[in-house]
Amino acid sequence: MSAPIATTPSDIVREAAALRRSLDAGFREEVVTSLYGEVERLTRRAVQDSGSGPLELDQRIDRIVTSRLLGLPLMLVILAVIFWLTIVGANVPSQMLASAFFWFEDLAAGWFTQLGVPWWITGFVWHGVYRGLAWVISVMLPPMAIFFPLFTILEDLGYLPRVAFNLDYLFKRAGAHGKQALSMAMGFGCNAAGVIATRVIDSPRERLVAILTNNFVPCNGRFPTLIMLATVFVAASFPPAVASLVAAGSVVAIVLVGVLFTLVVSWVLSRTVLRGEASAFTLELPPYRRPAMARILYTSLIDRTLFVLWRAMVTAAPAGAVIWLLANISPGGVSLATRTATFLDPLGWAMGLDGVILLAYIIAIPANEIVVPTMLMVYMTQGRMLEIESMDALRTLLVDQHGWTLLTAVNLMLFSLLHNPCATTIITIYKETLSVRWTTIGALMPLALGFIVTMLTAAMARAWFGF
Amino acid sequence: MLVPSHGVLAQFRKYRVTQARERTENALKHLLRQATDGHVASFTSLQGVLRMSDRQLMGLTQRLEREGLVRSEGTQFQLTPEGERVALHVLRAHRLWELYLADELGVPIGRVHEQAERAEHGLTKEQLDRLSASMGHPELDPHGDPIPTGDGSIPESPGTPLGAWPPSTPGRIVHLEDEPPLAYAQLSAAGLRLGQVIRVIERTPTRVVLTDGENEFRLAPMVAANVHVAAVTTETAPAAWPDSVIALTRLRSGESAEVVALDPSFRGFARRRLLDLGFTPGARIRSDLATLAGDPRAYRLRGTTIALRREQSDRVLVKRLA
Repeated sequence: MSAPIATTPSDIVREAAALRRSLDAGFREEVVTSLYGEVERLTRRAVQDSGSGPLELDQRIDRIVTSRLLGLPLMLVILAVIFWLTIVGANVPSQMLASAFFWFEDLAAGWFTQLGVPWWITGFVWHGVYRGLAWVISVMLPPMAIFFPLFTILEDLGYLPRVAFNLDYLFKRAGAHGKQALSMAMGFGCNAAGVIATRVIDSPRERLVAILTNNFVPCNGRFPTLIMLATVFVAASFPPAVASLVAAGSVVAIVLVGVLFTLVVSWVLSRTVLRGEASAFTLELPPYRRPAMARILYTSLIDRTLFVLWRAMVTAAPAGAVIWLLANISPGGVSLATRTATFLDPLGWAMGLDGVILLAYIIAIPANEIVVPTMLMVYMTQGRMLEIESMDALRTLLVDQHGWTLLTAVNLMLFSLLHNPCATTIITIYKETLSVRWTTIGALMPLALGFIVTMLTAAMARAWFGF
Repeated sequence: MLVPSHGVLAQFRKYRVTQARERTENALKHLLRQATDGHVASFTSLQGVLRMSDRQLMGLTQRLEREGLVRSEGTQFQLTPEGERVALHVLRAHRLWELYLADELGVPIGRVHEQAERAEHGLTKEQLDRLSASMGHPELDPHGDPIPTGDGSIPESPGTPLGAWPPSTPGRIVHLEDEPPLAYAQLSAAGLRLGQVIRVIERTPTRVVLTDGENEFRLAPMVAANVHVAAVTTETAPAAWPDSVIALTRLRSGESAEVVALDPSFRGFARRRLLDLGFTPGARIRSDLATLAGDPRAYRLRGTTIALRREQSDRVLVKRLA
């Protein structure tokens, strides 16, 4: 160095600026390379390779899990098994919870009456708010307590990155990011959680695509609707032995329709409002790990199940109150619920649904879980949400008394897949994007799509099959 | 509707203020550009850039003079030192944004100018310093234009305009002027890019013909003036890799190789990410898993499995190991 040594800060800065120009463009590379070189030297000295046993096994599993032939079928089978376990396993505890809760409701309402509390307070508190809560807990808690741990096991094993790897080429064609598969997987549990999970995507454009399309994955709150429809309309025509399998299969089919919509909408977004090329994609496929059961139970039950359940309860309580009020305020002898449903009927008809279903979706904006109870409540005009004892009774109610057809069932499944996200998800979209515009698009785009798709299927079914 | 701060009136007033600031800054930027190019800025040239009515523009220039940012002589305008400082600030914002959009956000290079035009206004010096620091105080924007430094100096623009470049002498493209956007669109449509080594093989008043050894590029002289070239030195010449060096993508499943380099055209966030994952020269790598479509593929590197899309694996250069 022939230059005089700089002494004052400004001299140093000036000299640094001058030296900078003489730096080779690849100096960052050299820094990283030397860091890695140093790390290699240290590992050679300190770490001993105890043979490559588990590594070999990992790679053998990877060969199967990501193989061209087996990769995708295996993924569908795993998904179907998880749904099947959830459907079968949740059935009994759900009913037990429901009977316990409703037994207590009758008991408590009885106390209120004995104490001389006016009927409308008893009704509002116990048959409105409490019943809303009871419904949500008994419908949601058992499936979540089964689904989330199963799902967390997959996550812990390290299987999910392989799914992202297998599906990436589809996402790439759609102009989206392969890691969108991860946030979608999260969306099965809860779309709000799915929206948060998009943080793993580095590119802001692709992250927005993932946020806006997450709602096309049916979440836990929507599964009861899908499962009910699958059981009542699809599985009912199969022998009981395979009915639950058929139900799980139909749910998988609906999920695939959702994935298809995700890809198509991502493709359209990437070519219109979110124009851009698919960006860099690097995904580490971590080694498989034995799931840590204690931690899985903790994260899935405490962090996920209770979190989702809590926010569902917070929204379900007021919704339960609204349902009770709508059903019990009857100016001119006709309840508000019936009036609104009648008003919505023409639109419902055009969508192959009916006014009651639309009303249920409006009331269920805070939490999708209460769609089915609301519907049944208005149908039975009994003034409160209720549980139907058997699927046969449900079939009689819907098909024989309220004229449901296969078209109603199919379109309700479609609409359940394609409608506005619940309030929590909308708030989460806002928190993640901090943009009113994207939040609005995220809320209204699926809804618009739902209207269009159901109207199209209704029109086609009526024109060609005479529904 | 009439709530102060949120009502329609307040929104309108806010819009007016923003618009006035953008116009001011665009006017200063134009004056700076003209001065740098050795041209004189006039009322007409300003009007061409800002598209304002005579009356509005008159008001604007009078205000700029009053604020001491601009000096006028007849219909010609010049920046005062204070005006130059503000103009450099906006220019710095523009070029930093362009680089950020291109390198970090992966916005296609043809669209960064337009987006930076919108984003460049209303930023403080501290914000720009942070933006600049986050990218390691870069010197050139994605078009090869020097980025003004925080203390208000602007590094010399590298290169000679193609018009003044001696014929048949190889030159490396160091700068593709991004204004006017139409001319830049023609340059990128023709396939010219930074770092390319070209020779002028024909120059007539109606066209300039270049070659990079394989393709010929025919440009209008107006467009060719937007290309700047510099002498090719051994250091900047693209290394001619021996045939044994291939793209990582071409490695067949199970084959091992040694990383030689990352393609120099691969920049910004995507390049750093690969370096951080350990794609450094000399690292051993093995092609491991392929998906149904053959893209992405997964590679074994430093004891981990990493999946890459073809766009990235095409730009990792490797040498097969026996």
